Amino acid sequence: MRVIAIGLAVVLFVLGILYGMGKINYFTQSGAGHAHHITHLVLLWALALLCLIWARFQSAPRR
Amino acid sequence: MTFFQALVLALLQGVSELFPISSLGHTILVPALLHWRNVDRSNASFLAFVVVLHLGTALALVVFYRAQWYAIARALVRSVVRGRLSDDRYERIGWLLVVGTIPVGLLGVIFEAPVRKLFASPAPAALFLLANGLIMFAGEALRRRQGAAASRPSKPIEALGYPASLFVGAAQSLALLPGISRSGVSMVAGLLCDLDHEDAAQFSFLLATPVIFAAALLEIPKLFAPGANVVLAQALCGGLAAGIAAYVSVAFLTRYFRSNDLRPFGWYCVVVGAICFILARKGVIT
Repeated sequence: MRVIAIGLAVVLFVLGILYGMGKINYFTQSGAGHAHHITHLVLLWALALLCLIWARFQSAPRR
Repeated sequence: MTFFQALVLALLQGVSELFPISSLGHTILVPALLHWRNVDRSNASFLAFVVVLHLGTALALVVFYRAQWYAIARALVRSVVRGRLSDDRYERIGWLLVVGTIPVGLLGVIFEAPVRKLFASPAPAALFLLANGLIMFAGEALRRRQGAAASRPSKPIEALGYPASLFVGAAQSLALLPGISRSGVSMVAGLLCDLDHEDAAQFSFLLATPVIFAAALLEIPKLFAPGANVVLAQALCGGLAAGIAAYVSVAFLTRYFRSNDLRPFGWYCVVVGAICFILARKGVIT
């Protein structure tokens, strides 16, 4: 589980960068072509952070 | 936009964001009803003004629930550092809020713009406002039936499961439709998960806070967009008025839901939604 969580975090982090750079354009168009790349970057990085927290919960010693 | 219009819209936003009557629906319907043709919702200056109103509302919610947010933030940090979940009430509520925020974050980013483009006119907003009232009636009826059939006592917020929190968060996403109230649908979802009215309202307001805040923060660049000539005094007074209205509203609603239910708001939404829909169909409001 820990490996999956870290792997997912890395994927989401990289996807966030690609959105931020404007390389990915899925779900970014609205109205008169206004782009929401920064919103997607923030969302993907927040999800990546949650995956890292999930990994942290998997790795702590159990009592 | 005149100073008076800005003040009315700010008070309307502060009140209707928290009352289960849909702020988005009202910001479409009220200017249409009053024939405020100078209020252009797609104008950069108006969008920037709305950002300030949302910031005011979110700040009011944070201030009202400041003790809970402080306890939740501390408990969440402690649990991450420890790497284990505990039985702490605020830690549990904190993780429930995190889980409940995920669906609205994802669905909001994907669908907000196309949904707004499709439905941001009086007729659909009125129809969804009517539907919002029916959802509240249905939620109250289902809750009473659940309680009568299983004689289940209400749960405290921390006894909610993570799937239930995900359900409440997903229900909150329906508020992307203008006319559907964020607090209304999330309260109905909370009631269906066996919360009582007071806890359903509190969970709904706590769940709404990060969403409204994040949405406002992400929209801050609109304040500096080309053509966004926000009058500083107007924006500051608007933000302050929205914040005060939101604070008074949340204080009133937390007391109101100790002994009352959603039905009066349901009646309001059904009646106002039906009248506005008829007026929109007849071309009286556009």
